[in-house]
Amino acid sequence: MSFALTLDFVLRQDDFVLEMHEQVADRAVALYGRSGAGKTMVLDTVAGLRRPHRGRIQAGDHVLFDSKAHVDLPARHRRVGYVPQDVTLFPHMDVRRNVMYGAGRSTSNMLAHVLDLLDLEPFLDRRVGQLSGGERQRVAIARALMAAPDLLLLDEPLSALDVELRARVLPYLVRVRDDLRVPMLYVSHHADEVRAIADWVIHLERGRVTAAGPAEKVLAAAAGTGGLDSPG
Amino acid sequence: MLRRILPWRLGGWLGLVLLLTALPASAGARQSARVVVSAASSLTDVLTQLVDLYEATEAAVRVELNLAGSNTLARQIIAGAPVDLFLSANVDEMRRLEAVGRVRANSWDALLSNQLVVVTPDDQPAPPRQLDDLRAAAVRRIAIGDPAAVPAGIYARQYLEALGIWDDLAGKLVPTRSVRAALAAVETGNVDAAFVYRTDAATAPRAVVAFEIPLAEAPAIVYPIALIEGSQNGTAAAAFLRFLRSASAKTVFEWAGFIVLASRGSAIVP
Amino acid sequence: MTTDVWQVAWFTVTVAGVATIVMLPPGIGLAWLFARHRFLGRTALETLVALPLVIPPVATGLILLNLFGRRGSLGRLLAAAGVEVIFTWKAVVLAMAVMGLPLLVRAGRVAFEQVDRRYEQMAATLGAGPLRVFMTVSLPLAGRGLMAGTLLAFSRALGEFGATVMVAGSIPGSTRTIAAGIYSYTEVGNDAAAAGLLLVSICIAFGALWVSNRLAQS
Repeated sequence: MSFALTLDFVLRQDDFVLEMHEQVADRAVALYGRSGAGKTMVLDTVAGLRRPHRGRIQAGDHVLFDSKAHVDLPARHRRVGYVPQDVTLFPHMDVRRNVMYGAGRSTSNMLAHVLDLLDLEPFLDRRVGQLSGGERQRVAIARALMAAPDLLLLDEPLSALDVELRARVLPYLVRVRDDLRVPMLYVSHHADEVRAIADWVIHLERGRVTAAGPAEKVLAAAAGTGGLDSPG
Repeated sequence: MLRRILPWRLGGWLGLVLLLTALPASAGARQSARVVVSAASSLTDVLTQLVDLYEATEAAVRVELNLAGSNTLARQIIAGAPVDLFLSANVDEMRRLEAVGRVRANSWDALLSNQLVVVTPDDQPAPPRQLDDLRAAAVRRIAIGDPAAVPAGIYARQYLEALGIWDDLAGKLVPTRSVRAALAAVETGNVDAAFVYRTDAATAPRAVVAFEIPLAEAPAIVYPIALIEGSQNGTAAAAFLRFLRSASAKTVFEWAGFIVLASRGSAIVP
Repeated sequence: MTTDVWQVAWFTVTVAGVATIVMLPPGIGLAWLFARHRFLGRTALETLVALPLVIPPVATGLILLNLFGRRGSLGRLLAAAGVEVIFTWKAVVLAMAVMGLPLLVRAGRVAFEQVDRRYEQMAATLGAGPLRVFMTVSLPLAGRGLMAGTLLAFSRALGEFGATVMVAGSIPGSTRTIAAGIYSYTEVGNDAAAAGLLLVSICIAFGALWVSNRLAQS
């Protein structure tokens, strides 16, 4: 069963213009590009935290924004799970309350599954401040998943982790993709991560899409034109 | 170089300051004499009129009025306030000043008397007509000059205690800083009644006299007046005092509702 | 005489407590509003709220007296409903609340501004409506600063005099607060009672401020 993600909008912030006209059928999509390219802005816009000037954003059958039809769903109704770059776990709540924050009723089955998927069972009663970087990342993913989103947004989930941790957490992301089959929009500037997670890659440079297509093709082209594998 | 300039600049500033402080004194000597009169607040309107009258006829004098509750004024004088003349609403305050030597023994004179009345806001449908009516539940709050200190309040308290209804009314009483404040409370409608002087009631458009406290039953109200010891303007103060005893002043006092007492020896002094 | 002192002290602390509770909903609401929203007339509203901090307390008292007196615009409505304000304990609460509110709003606004909006945004993406975001994220995270502001406002209420004495008088046993009591006792010459109240006043205020400062530091 295919999934359609429509990212067709224009957004202006000061001198920066972000413009996309993409229609994607794959479930695991990556936004690839240097920092400053506007990748986080795209995620904020899809999540409903920023409003584009015009355009249309649709995830599956769910229209999130349509300037012509005057549709602009507030963030809380978009059913979009967001794992931000700075993690942003609620510091005054323990892991359990963080994870359960967006969960509706009758989710106990799902909880067990998600905790198992991300190996979080032993951490449930810990305070957020007591967790390592990798653990926090997993809690953030679990929290987003427990809200039963139609689309999962991940903003450089592994960039704050060292090489070893990155290698440890990446499999969890793959698990989430394969096991729960939640469509993903994954932001990263690391080619190997993108290769591992995404089927479709959108290359973003200074607010514009310079390439979009199957992962290998786009990554090869990017490597050829000067490589984004370099950090930052 | 700094060492040479600094003393000159300092001297210059000092000289300027001295000059400025010296100026008012010299100006005063050339211009009018100044008389500071501390008087009970119930005398506000009538004394303002009299001062205007006096200054109009005596160009070389400026009379400054300091108006408050007599207890407050007495404390100020005891604390050394530069007052020339004190016109109190009761004799007790005057005796206090005598005791500490701020007034020469027995030098005070009985100037005025007054009458207590009960006033109510002008929009009351069924105002009290006699003292007993104040007991009614409809009368929730009665303003009174602080009965621990303000003469009007002390007089009222003496009266109510003598009649044995002080305890009944005590719970309704709102003590105020001066009798004028009690009057203001009635004028704004925030209390149902107040004990004030008949002379105060006359000045208040939104308060009406509900009934008077008969002179025969009420405690003797005496407004004594005296020169304050150590006053710098004794001559000018004495002149103003003579004016207050004059026939024209008497007319103004009586027109305002005060009773002018004969100079000491009157039977009212307790 | 000592029972008077304790009665006045107890009354003052109780009324100040009531006033603080009364202050909390509008205080937190306004603090939140000023911290998070821009709207037409915002500066005017901010200035209005801060006014009691700047104009003489007796002036504030006079304004309240004119509004809530039996002939005032609000007092008339209340009197019709059988509610008397002037010269009752309610007037004390009113004066204390009005004088303390600007302090609470000021401290609360700073507290809310220090809450990273990202937390609120995340809560929204997780499906929480504005009220839930406020109650479960913004308020707890601003908690310390709000607590410090509340204590500050409470301390201010304890010491409030100018406005209080205008609208409530200093009726012994009924509306006499510590501050009004000190004033009245000195007026009458009862220096011993005044000194007793003074001591109590300093102790309470010191304690409240100390806790407030500790909370604000951490």
